[in-house]
Amino acid sequence: MKLLRELLFPLVAVAAAFVVGGIVVLLIGDDPIYTYKLLIGSALSWPDGIGRTLFYATPLIFTGLAVAVAFRCGLLNIGAEGQLYVAAFATAWVSIKLGGTVVDVFGTPVNYSWASLPAVLLVPLAILTAIVVGGAWGAIAGYLKAYFGAHEVITTIMLNFIAVALVSYFTQYHYKVPGDPILQTAPIGAAAHIPRLSAFIPGLPESIPLNVAFILALLACALVYVFLWRTKWGYEIRATGANPTAAEYGGISIRKQIVLAMAVSGGLAGMVGVNEVLGYHHRYYDSFSENYGFTGIAVALLGRNHPVGIIFSALLFGMLQRGAIPVDAFTEHVSKDLVQVLQAIVILFVAAEAAFRGSFGRFGLLKRSKV
Amino acid sequence: MKSRFLFVTIVLLCALVALNSSCNRGTQTADDKSKVHVGIVFDIGGKDDRSFNAAAWEGVKRAAKDLPIVLRDVEPGSPTNIEPAMRAFAERGYDLIIGVGFAQAPIMEVVAKDYPNINFAIVDGVSQLPNVASLVFKEHQGSYLVGMLAARTSKTGTLGFIGGMDIPLIHRFETGYEEGAKAVNPQIRVIQNFVGVNDSAWNNPGKGKELALSQIGRGADVIFTAAGNSGLGAFDAVEQAGRDEQGHARRFVIGVDSNQNGVKPGFVLTSMVKRVDNAVYNIAQDVVNHQFKGGFHVFGLETDGVGYSLDENNQTLIPPDVLKDVDAAKQKIIAGQIQVTDAMAK
Repeated sequence: MKLLRELLFPLVAVAAAFVVGGIVVLLIGDDPIYTYKLLIGSALSWPDGIGRTLFYATPLIFTGLAVAVAFRCGLLNIGAEGQLYVAAFATAWVSIKLGGTVVDVFGTPVNYSWASLPAVLLVPLAILTAIVVGGAWGAIAGYLKAYFGAHEVITTIMLNFIAVALVSYFTQYHYKVPGDPILQTAPIGAAAHIPRLSAFIPGLPESIPLNVAFILALLACALVYVFLWRTKWGYEIRATGANPTAAEYGGISIRKQIVLAMAVSGGLAGMVGVNEVLGYHHRYYDSFSENYGFTGIAVALLGRNHPVGIIFSALLFGMLQRGAIPVDAFTEHVSKDLVQVLQAIVILFVAAEAAFRGSFGRFGLLKRSKV
Repeated sequence: MKSRFLFVTIVLLCALVALNSSCNRGTQTADDKSKVHVGIVFDIGGKDDRSFNAAAWEGVKRAAKDLPIVLRDVEPGSPTNIEPAMRAFAERGYDLIIGVGFAQAPIMEVVAKDYPNINFAIVDGVSQLPNVASLVFKEHQGSYLVGMLAARTSKTGTLGFIGGMDIPLIHRFETGYEEGAKAVNPQIRVIQNFVGVNDSAWNNPGKGKELALSQIGRGADVIFTAAGNSGLGAFDAVEQAGRDEQGHARRFVIGVDSNQNGVKPGFVLTSMVKRVDNAVYNIAQDVVNHQFKGGFHVFGLETDGVGYSLDENNQTLIPPDVLKDVDAAKQKIIAGQIQVTDAMAK
């Protein structure tokens, strides 16, 4: 019964979003059923649709988890976007420097690397870099909150701007191949590439960028669950989030928990870099993120800050992202922004839950439960 | 009670909407398989930039009117959407997929390799694949001519140049412009600025205006923009500089890609037009006539692929003797007597 209650509102929110979205489509002058067929059909077709839906869901699982961990500690991490940018760049940097990258510049080979490590060493090192750098970037905001009382919403937003500008600068002026019109670094060494799932799943074409990072994302969900509900650290983080005063009275150092939670959160956001750099572009590609960090907030909200819920809400948002382009291309008037309308309505309904609980509560449909 | 009533109303409304829409199916345009299917993927600036993308949009719309074509378009809005957009067309077996802008070239290479039987065309980009047509322009030649016009118009001896993203392609505009200006007046000074280093540089009119105002402050009285949507900010800046007692503009701007003379009439000296519209029209026509060829399709002065625009908005701004000199230079460039430096040829 408790599970049902937890599921009801997210489901109502999604259904309501589609209904309101349908009305919007109708007002614009297209057929909602045709539009939704296009949206969902292209997201669930085998193999291209499903493959890409899962690919788009991968970064959202990571950022959703990142937001959820911070939220369980009573923190709102709006900085996943910046954390994933610095982590992605750092991952690319390590994979270039230790991956034996040599690039042909106007006919002369230029060596960008210091060493050429084998894949067994390079891949774990690159993944570790993503986690550590993302975590460090997140920990800055945690530290400022814990020791100076700077609000994490403000600091993470500001750190986002710094992160984006910083990595753009390094890419443009230090790690771009001369003559390349696109703002991207030199390619990473081949040893750092992680395999695409097409190598293991028959029928999945190689052009689908779905890669091992998706498996890592599912693994991260399990680990986050264990961390939050089965370890002492997770308990302390949740205790701090539930009631900091009581937690402190119980002997928990709130400051440490805040820094720890932000570091774990940033590390999870940083894993997006693994999907992007090691699994997809094989280089740092400037402004690659389709607002993954911010969409992660919505994913966590809809997934009720629980790893299992986050998988499902990330899949939903991945579906929407996959379906957006066909909707833009093959309807007369509807643009891909319809997807943003749908996302916004989902968030609105989830956020308005408290109000709903109040009115429905009188009919005994729902009892007020602690979140 | 009130909320239950509301709930029922909403449900009824939804049912009504669903019913209504299912009756509406006829309005959906039937997918005519006999027609040639063309999909176009725009650049970050979007099709309403009144410049580069707008020219491409103009061209495919004209093709769709004249030829048996089913036309679909996508404005990706962010670089991550470009590949899915191309694949959306390719998966549905489109006959021609057009990518607008150099940034799409590496993505198109990947997609075109997976679909060797589909024709692709990339504007401003280069690909070696046999099923990709590279539509490129000699922007330096057209820029040379507007550089001459700018130098003949300038009273301060200082010109401005505002580029979008700091890349070799835009330097090609700048060097041509500067060479043209120096050919008229070797002492002339050209101040150059770029809006930025990433994709958003094409879509930042606010920054474009700031740069233009700063150049005006440093004495520039004719400013050439090659910055997509960001260039429109420079149009605002010259309008802000106002008109003198005779009603002539104090500062001028030179538009780019599309004919932008009408954007701020009187303030636009001319536009360095790049006939992206003709280029995409021709490639669509080739596909319809089964004459598609991959490789380079170069558009220069000799085919009117680039040039400067002259219409009722700016003909009073340029004296006839200036026009005569510029046209003479144009003939010399075509004949090879004037060599304009191509910043991209290394």
